Amino acid sequence: MSEAKTLTYYPGCSSQGSARHLDESLRAVLPKVGIELDEIDDWNCCGASVGHIGGCQKPNLALTGRTLAKAQQKGTRDVVTGCAACYLNTHSGAEKIKADVKTRTQINTALREAKLSYDADLRVRHICEVLVNDVGIDRIASQVTNPLTGLKVAGYVGCQTVRPFAGTEGGGKFDATDEPTFLDDFTRACGAEALAFSNKTSCCGASVAVMSPDRTLPLIKTILSEAQEAGADVISTPCPLCQTNVEMYQAAINRKWGTKFQIPVVFYSQLMAVAFGMAANKEAALQRNTIAPTALAALARPEGAK
Amino acid sequence: MKALPEVSAVPYDLGFARWVRDNIQGGELLSLCMQCGVCSGSCPIGVQMDYGPRKLFMMIRAGMKEEVLRSNTLWNCTSCYRCVVRCPRGVPVTYILQDLAAKSAELGYASKGTENVNFARSFWWSARFYGRTDERLITARYYFTFGLKEGLRRALENLSIAVGMIRTGRMHMGMPRRIKDRRGLKAILAKARELELGE
Repeated sequence: MSEAKTLTYYPGCSSQGSARHLDESLRAVLPKVGIELDEIDDWNCCGASVGHIGGCQKPNLALTGRTLAKAQQKGTRDVVTGCAACYLNTHSGAEKIKADVKTRTQINTALREAKLSYDADLRVRHICEVLVNDVGIDRIASQVTNPLTGLKVAGYVGCQTVRPFAGTEGGGKFDATDEPTFLDDFTRACGAEALAFSNKTSCCGASVAVMSPDRTLPLIKTILSEAQEAGADVISTPCPLCQTNVEMYQAAINRKWGTKFQIPVVFYSQLMAVAFGMAANKEAALQRNTIAPTALAALARPEGAK
Repeated sequence: MKALPEVSAVPYDLGFARWVRDNIQGGELLSLCMQCGVCSGSCPIGVQMDYGPRKLFMMIRAGMKEEVLRSNTLWNCTSCYRCVVRCPRGVPVTYILQDLAAKSAELGYASKGTENVNFARSFWWSARFYGRTDERLITARYYFTFGLKEGLRRALENLSIAVGMIRTGRMHMGMPRRIKDRRGLKAILAKARELELGE
């Protein structure tokens, strides 16, 4: 892929809040590897992992229907998102609407209330899958001007980025659900060291961690313990909620178990931004991590330098 | 959705498995379950569940409607989908649990103060009203669904997290983000619900 390719972009709600640094770093690095993002006009929430409980199944699917209808107006077949929950919901919603005529008719009946329609022809993709299949690891490596030599990275993929669609026809033949390698490939392409990490796809507790941390702190502790024993400078992840959960609950875990975790959790795209020679804050958005990734920041080019 | 079979005096409702098959997303594939237990063994949070998915599915077959719809199994699923990708019979375990949870809340089986239900309703309020989820408002609203005292306790307990989010610019301050066509979204959601109730 040599020319720039424009993809319809669904940033998701976390891009305006807790995961701004994912959105900001993606917008910085993707043009370097030939991907231009064209944001969906007036996109809405995907429903995440609780919409069906709060609003019931059909209205929850209608949320996805509306975003897809707005995406369709962009005229490209591929819709991409960097958020695991947006990907899971929108991808599975698109498949449901496509597979079942009755569902498609119902969703379109609902969409007509706002003068919208959806033809069920869009392909919903995860940005990581696009990076693996369309861009390629070699092209990512070719953009590295500031290799992250010596940085030890624990690649924490999380669940929903690779489950349940990785390796399926609809999911774009994308890595494995239990032992994915793409995140470590990104790390190595950036010149950093990818540590062996067996909790790659162990769950962080997702929204249950937000509503009742006591139920899920042990899950996060398992992830942190392995990263610490492996000597990780940073944990890298593609998932907005994994990033927030694993970062923000370290203090609570330390209080509860007397541990001393203080491990920065960054997005793969922040690693790429630094490795591409971009500014630590303006482009890599490192100032947005509540646990400062000092080892990574030390490798970054001074602000404003080219 | 059809109405649930009437509550009977006997603990076993033999029509329940059929109701699950006809009304629960993925329920038509439940009969493929061979009780191997890969789902329960794979579950990251199974130790906290009243019953793992395997046992819950057998209880559905046995007609234990009350125990199934009131079990905390439905509220501990984190939607990691490990059971879905590992099930040797292709049973969509997570999807079934999610819809059982939705129906448990809708039909009033979830006990008052179930965290997931309160959280989900706070979440949906933001999604429906603004078209976006405002993490700050959802969390605050959720905390205070437990009353003023408990709300304050939870808010204080998480104060340092909130401060960190504000400091790094990750908690949106000011007016909530919202979509332009909020009226259209509300109409879409209302229509979708109307169609669902008519099924």
